Formats: sequence, C-alpha cells, structure tokens
Amino acid sequence: MQHFVLEQALNYLLDQGAADLGALNGKTLHFALEDLALEVNFICTNSRIFVTADTTGASDVDIKLKSSVFLALLQGEELTELLRQDKIIIHGDVKIAQLLVDLLQQIDIDFEEILSKYTGDIIAYQVGKLAKTFKKSQNPLETLKDELTTLLVAPSKSNLFKHKGV
Amino acid sequence: MDKTTHFGFQDVATNDKQGLVRGVFDSVASKYDLMNDVLSFGAHRLWKRYTIASSNVKTGDKVLDIAGGTGDLAIEFRKKVGTSGQVVLSDINAAMLGEGRKNLINKGVFGVEFIQLNAQKIPFADNTFDCVSIAFGLRNVTDKNQAISEMHRVLKPGGCLLILEFSKTDSELLKKFYDFYSFNVMPKLGGIIADDEESYQYLAESIRKHPDQETLKTMVLDAGFGFCEYHNLSGGIVALHKGIKI
Repeated sequence: MQHFVLEQALNYLLDQGAADLGALNGKTLHFALEDLALEVNFICTNSRIFVTADTTGASDVDIKLKSSVFLALLQGEELTELLRQDKIIIHGDVKIAQLLVDLLQQIDIDFEEILSKYTGDIIAYQVGKLAKTFKKSQNPLETLKDELTTLLVAPSKSNLFKHKGV
Repeated sequence: MDKTTHFGFQDVATNDKQGLVRGVFDSVASKYDLMNDVLSFGAHRLWKRYTIASSNVKTGDKVLDIAGGTGDLAIEFRKKVGTSGQVVLSDINAAMLGEGRKNLINKGVFGVEFIQLNAQKIPFADNTFDCVSIAFGLRNVTDKNQAISEMHRVLKPGGCLLILEFSKTDSELLKKFYDFYSFNVMPKLGGIIADDEESYQYLAESIRKHPDQETLKTMVLDAGFGFCEYHNLSGGIVALHKGIKI
C-alpha cells in the first residue's frame, strides 16, 4: 500500500506538469533502504512511473542507502556530497539517480509515515529526526553519534523526545 | 473424452467450458450488479476503485476492459482518459455487454466502444493499449495462459495489465467464515435474488479453482511481463495483480 501512495504522488506530480519524466523515461531504478530491508523498483515508462515491490527484473540504476540518509536526501542534502561520504552507493548513471531524487524531493508526502509501516512509528520518527539533525549539522557524523549516545544513555535529554516534553 | 478443464468443481471437456460459462452469465446478467453489491456487502466497489487508482491511466490513454460486463470499470476509465482517449468495453457474453451498454446510457456515459470478444483471441493489433484490465473475469476463461499472453501482446511497451480477481486468504479464521459464506449463503442468496442458485454455486467453486496469488503472478511473468506484483484486498479474498510490459 505504501508503494501505491508513492506511485500516486509521483504520477500526480507528472500529471500536474510539476515535473518532467524526460531522461528517466524508459529507465528502471532499483532502490534499497538497507537497514529496513526495503526494496522497490521505480519503472519509468510510457510517460508515467510505476513503483513496484517486484525487484526481480533488470534495472538500469541501483541505489543503496540507509533510511536516515534517504530522509536527509529528501530534505535537501546533496546527492554528490552523500556519494563522496560513501553514505549512498549508486551503480549506474548518477545523473539518472539524481533525476529520481529531484522528483522525490518534490513530493509532498510524509516519508516518515511511509517508513513507519516498516519499522513501527517510533523508530521511523526517530530516524526522521536524526535525518533532520543530520542535515542541519556542520558535522553530520558527529551529530549522529552524539544523538545516538544521548538516546542510549540519557533518553530524556535527547532532541528526539524534546517535543513530547519527556 | 477430449482434453478436460474445470467448471467449478466439475471436470468438463475444454470445448464445453465456454458454453457453460456463457449459460451462467446469460442467467445472472440482469441482476449482476445487485448481486455483487449484496454478496460483497458493497466491497466490490472499493476493490474496483483501488484498481482504477492503481492503473495510472492518463488523459489520452487507450484502455481495454476485458470481461467488463456491466461497465463499472469502463465508466471510471472513461473519466480518466477524457475525450482524447479511448475506452473499449468488451465481454464474451452478449447479455452482459447488453447490460453494460444499458448501464452506461443510464449513467450518461458516452464515447465507450463495445466489442464482444474472447480474451484468448483479442482482435486488436500488437502494442495498441496503455492499459488492459480484467475484473472478476479471468477465472472464467478456459485457457488463462493464452489470455494473459494476448493481453501482453495488445499492450504497448510500458503498458499496464490489471487483473482483479478472487484469490486465497491466509487467515484461517477468515477462510472458515468465507467458506461457510460462499457455499451456504451465497448460493441461497443467488436463488432468492437472481432465481439462480446453481450459478452462484459455480461462482463459489470457480473461486476455489482459480490460481492463488503467487501462481497467477508466475503466469503473468511467464507471459512476458517484465514486472508483476499483487496487492491483497480484504485479507486476500481478492487480489489485484499488476503487470508491466517492458
């Protein structure tokens, strides 16, 4: 059902002319969130995008990353920077991958909500918060470490729970 | 006896199945929509709505609805493709097609083309349609593999096949309830409302003989589709298979 929501959102964008399939047309992109064992194929064909859990077919581009990196990417983190930091692995044409990321960044849906179907709400929320902190930080890796340490040692002091007044 | 196939739980000569299925639908055509509403508690409308939404059909697309019967998918596809698109409503059964034509006229839907066809031999050129759909029809087709191959042939590259069909539920509890309902309640309701208990006994039996989700997925892939996935609806009582021609 999560694929369905994503597929609807992408095609709505295309229908509204808010995005152009352009160079993506005819391409299949395999997308894997390694920590969630979540894989989908984006099949860009016939001027539309199909999002499918059937990942057995051949793909033109393979993208592998962690869910927190994915959320950071959607919040505007540069793909090239993440590639440089080895936080994302791309086999195939990086420009094609960039086009998909551009499309995903334009979608106005709550990816944390989608991820929550795979992880449970609290973990998805935490991943999302980490991704946001990750983006704002000058030193993302250190921030991530700090947050995880705080979360494990003194959860009540973690930024992740501040909004709940824990 | 020649080659045999199933007609519900009976084994019948392959050549006879089409006529037997025609008999069922000739009998139930006039009450088909009412019976669907009653038997599914209205859920068939939701299953079909989900199918339409999953199609990704756009303005200007060409859509073929096979075994389209009373036309509820065709009506929605017509709205999606607009005046620049094309929707063909087809059925092997003339009585069902007649009901479809009446239904569309009553609802003020025009511009849908009607054609009586056998899904095993679709009279359209290769690579014609952006979307081919078949809702609650495939289980009645004698040679399902042949029909799916034909659907693949008439789809354009990048085209989408949608098969909405009764399937198998994994839930033991739901299965028990569903079996009781199918074999004890459905035929009785068919007798009361459509004056045809036998046809609804066939409906229940034909569902049990239909391939399960994984088997049907394999059949779709074997027909040449590049990708296929399915979504279980109502706990797997119904499944939507979606194949993409690459």
